[in-house]
Amino acid sequence: MAALLDEIEPLKQSALGALQSAADLPALEQAKGAFLGAEGQFTALMKRLGTLAKEERPAAGKAINAAKVEIEAALAACREALELRASAPKVPTDFTAPGRRRSLGHLHPLTQVTDDIVRAFRRLGFAVADGPEIEDEVHCFDALNTPKDHPARDAQDTFYVGRGEPAGAAASTGAVGGTLLRTHTSSVQIRVMEKMPPPIRIIVPGRVYRRDNADATHNPTFHQVEGLYVDRGVTVGDLKGTVEFVFRELMGSDTRIRFRPHYFSYTEPSFEIDFSNALVKKLGKDWLEIAGCGMVHPQVFENVGYDPEVWSGWAFGFGIERIAMIRYGINDIRLFYENDVRFLRQF
Amino acid sequence: MKITLNWLKQYVELDWTPEEMTERLTMLGLEVEGVVKLGGAFEGVVVAQVITRDRHPNADKLSVCRVNDGKGERQIVCGAQNFQPGDKVPLILPGASLPPKPGDKEPFTIKVGKIRGVESHGMMCAAEELGLDPEALGLKKEDGLLILKPDAIVGQAFGEYLGRGGSDVVFDLEVTPNRPDLNSVIGIAREVAAITGHPLQLPPLVSSDAGEGDTAADLVSVQLDAADLGPRYTARVIRGVKIGPSPDWLRNTLEKVGLRSINNVVDVTNFVMLETGQPLHAFDYHLVAKGANGRPTVIVRRASDGESFVTLDGKQHTLGSEHLLIADSEKGIALAGVMGGRNTEINDRTVDVLLESAYFSPTNIRRTSKTLGIRTDSSYRFERGADVGMTDWASRRAAHLIQETAGGRLAKGAVDAYPAPTLPKQITLRHAKVSELLGVTLTPDQIEVSLGSLGFRVAQRKPRAVDDATPPEPVTFTVPSYRVDMKREVDLIEEVARLYGVDRIPSTPPRHAKGSHPFDDRYDELMQVRRWLTGLGLNEAQGQTLVSKSTIRGLDPAMVVGLANPLSSDMDALRPSLLPGLMDILRHNLRHRNGDVALFEIGRVFRREGGSVREGRSLAIALTGARQPAFWAGAERDAKLELSDLKGLIEEFFEHAGLRGVGFVRREEPSDLFVESATVAIGGKLALGQLGWVHAQVAKSYDVRDAVLLAEFDLDQILTRRNAGRAFKPLPAFPSARRDVAMVVSESVTHEAVLQAVRQAKAGDLEAVELFDVFRGGSVPDGQKSVAYAFTYRGADRTLTDAEVTASHGKVVEQLKKQVGATLRE
Repeated sequence: MAALLDEIEPLKQSALGALQSAADLPALEQAKGAFLGAEGQFTALMKRLGTLAKEERPAAGKAINAAKVEIEAALAACREALELRASAPKVPTDFTAPGRRRSLGHLHPLTQVTDDIVRAFRRLGFAVADGPEIEDEVHCFDALNTPKDHPARDAQDTFYVGRGEPAGAAASTGAVGGTLLRTHTSSVQIRVMEKMPPPIRIIVPGRVYRRDNADATHNPTFHQVEGLYVDRGVTVGDLKGTVEFVFRELMGSDTRIRFRPHYFSYTEPSFEIDFSNALVKKLGKDWLEIAGCGMVHPQVFENVGYDPEVWSGWAFGFGIERIAMIRYGINDIRLFYENDVRFLRQF
Repeated sequence: MKITLNWLKQYVELDWTPEEMTERLTMLGLEVEGVVKLGGAFEGVVVAQVITRDRHPNADKLSVCRVNDGKGERQIVCGAQNFQPGDKVPLILPGASLPPKPGDKEPFTIKVGKIRGVESHGMMCAAEELGLDPEALGLKKEDGLLILKPDAIVGQAFGEYLGRGGSDVVFDLEVTPNRPDLNSVIGIAREVAAITGHPLQLPPLVSSDAGEGDTAADLVSVQLDAADLGPRYTARVIRGVKIGPSPDWLRNTLEKVGLRSINNVVDVTNFVMLETGQPLHAFDYHLVAKGANGRPTVIVRRASDGESFVTLDGKQHTLGSEHLLIADSEKGIALAGVMGGRNTEINDRTVDVLLESAYFSPTNIRRTSKTLGIRTDSSYRFERGADVGMTDWASRRAAHLIQETAGGRLAKGAVDAYPAPTLPKQITLRHAKVSELLGVTLTPDQIEVSLGSLGFRVAQRKPRAVDDATPPEPVTFTVPSYRVDMKREVDLIEEVARLYGVDRIPSTPPRHAKGSHPFDDRYDELMQVRRWLTGLGLNEAQGQTLVSKSTIRGLDPAMVVGLANPLSSDMDALRPSLLPGLMDILRHNLRHRNGDVALFEIGRVFRREGGSVREGRSLAIALTGARQPAFWAGAERDAKLELSDLKGLIEEFFEHAGLRGVGFVRREEPSDLFVESATVAIGGKLALGQLGWVHAQVAKSYDVRDAVLLAEFDLDQILTRRNAGRAFKPLPAFPSARRDVAMVVSESVTHEAVLQAVRQAKAGDLEAVELFDVFRGGSVPDGQKSVAYAFTYRGADRTLTDAEVTASHGKVVEQLKKQVGATLRE
């Protein structure tokens, strides 16, 4: 009896040692078989239990069971550790190597700048408005108080739309004369005021056209934003307040704004707006011209049937490309229209 | 408009630095576009007077002098012998440089230094040292210092003493088209006077009836035959002039602002034009033909159709009745307001001068200048609007200067043909309106002082009782004739704002109404679409609206909206579709070795439909190159984009947009653009657009090698039909059962046909059908394909039994066999 009891502890120790020294799962299984398998040493020890005297059996059985539980726990622990090791990658991952990408597209920089402008204005209660790009002289010039013989109306500067190809329905309409591509978004001012009664608070982003050959600073197509606010008792002070707010939103809180008297046929008084901030200083300049604005000319109000004695308002407009070029340091306007993917991906 | 600081100072006192001047003029609305500082001749050289002359303690031939430079005394060591105390000499101050001597490269810069132990603070100069010939200056030629005339002013810049002008600053100003009065130095001086409060000093001129002997009317007649185009013409005659080079001051002034000096008389007319804004012209009096009355007669008339005329520059023009001509009884002598004629120009032999100062209609001058392609300083001023009140005044100023620079005698008075004088304009102002519009409170006095300083005179005031406390308004102002831009009350308000300073008007935070517009929501939808598409991996493009007609395929040319005045044939039409533009963009990218391109564009397209032009919003997609971003492992890494990629993208987009009932119908035949394509419509009727795989030949013409996939949709239609509403459907509570079917069908059996058959089977509890494999070749006969579908069955209120699923699925299989001729693969 004593001999069997004495054998339990060394055998357990040697089983634990064998399990723990197993380098992988097959070795562990082999070790398990060597002790707990049908022919295993520990199984053999248990079989010998029956040879003991009846009164000795409970104590020996208890001791053997305790050892077995201990071995099985060790086995489970070793198995878990080895399984964990087996499931790990065989080779280390190179975290510096490029991952497998999914591409997300980029919004065109002009879209992004336009949206920033729209967002700034909307915070002030402006609604986005829209109008046709093919316009007539009334909305593009006449109603905006542009003199009949103003150079802007020249075929030199403005694209006129053809009367349509010969024959067919188009030719029969006749009165297409004076149909043009709008030269500014200001035409939408007129369209909106014709349709809606005051007060008006709109912003109009859109494409405009001038008959310029493309170069680093010109493209026959470009974008403008127009703002129009009509209400009772609107003053130059209101115009300044809004412009300053919007440009600080757009160009940073260090932006300074300056108004210079200027001339536009549809505003009176008229101003040009210059701005200055760290970017401008970097360009070696004190001020950069950025927009034109003014108080809506009473003649314009009369043209759309608003009473200038009751209503006053301001309008301002600026080029989106110019803002984008300043903001991102883009030096050639044509890049916007080439849509080189290496360009688009930068924004 | 270019002016110089010294010139401006002749009319108004000002002590601004060039920087201050730039700032002040800019804030007045006269934007300074350029500033050029001219050093002037003999910078750092002044007229100085010798006070004492003593022998140098260490050198016999040198003297030590005390010299007054106009600001104080200096000690100068000098080697010359020809002078004594009291003499006035040129003195060059330390820091200034003498021109290099012949043979030297560097100019010689004067420094404070010791000469034989005695300090010298400058150098008195000899004529040669300054590069001057004393005799040409009317001074004695002698060894040693250049001794100046006793009346020389001590301290004066030496260049100025010589009449060569000292330093000066040239300002290039942007004059807005509404302010023609600012195209003159006096006009600008008037603005400066208004903001500084210094008086405007007008230059000398002859009186209206100055002159001697014959009267102008004895010597010339003027006949206005087209008073609508030329309502005023003033003529003066100066006889016995000597044509020659202009004096230095005149030549220098003109050259500084970029005009070439021609001769004294012509230079005076140009000078006075820049000074007053009134263009003038001088004729050789004897080349103007005599009329019936025996006197040279100037006739202002319309040209006859086809009349030929040679301008000063030697160019021949064929005129018409829309052109205004200055003529004598035989021939045209000047193209009114634009350019003089070669036949009567001032020349070396000219003795007597006929001086024209006139007013011409701006519109007519603009048309003439444009149709004949001649732009001159004169036409520039007339087409913007000259000052009809200035005509005679400018003529008198020019007469004064011609006599001063070219001699001659002025015939008495002038012929001033001005049958219908323009009455001064009057504008009424309500003081309260000023504050109301500007947002700053100004007193009636402030307003009236501002306007008064600009030349607006109070003409009339509303009469009121002495004890009336109401504001003194309205008040009527007389507008000076040079302010052709003044039309109504608000124009006066702008003047007040300008003088008050916009920068002084306080900004008010945004207030009042909240805006609204129907497009406001559409804007958000468009931005939403853009974000979805970028989420799908597409970059946004913004193409040109103007395209070449030659790139437009598959559209009736009558529907193309062409330009009447294109810049070139590359851009002669408004795009009827975004696709040609996207193809151009692909080409650009491929030429720059960007072979993998996935783009979308949202933009307007233009078509002529039923006689009117429709501006629609279109969405287009272009794909070519690799399906996925580059990666360094995997079987699919080299996969190229194909039609299914495009279609998948579109399906995903449509799903987000909430479009329902969209069908894709294959075109049986290749189109002009696509080798394989489909039209897309809602409910089989409402056309949405198309997608396809571009013809290899077309792709090649754009230098594209990989498959090019394009799609274009009517975005207005999509946004109108989109369904933004979302309703929650409870997540399934019971497990589903899946049954797969692999079958062989004819190539002509589409996925849609299979779905139709499945729908017709009306199998209960069928939740979803999914195509998961298509296979051709191998054991599948030609003209047929093997397709495999997974069918998902799920009960809404319980777990389906195997028997139930089998029963439902059996119906599906039967229907497939029957309707699409499916042969089941086991």
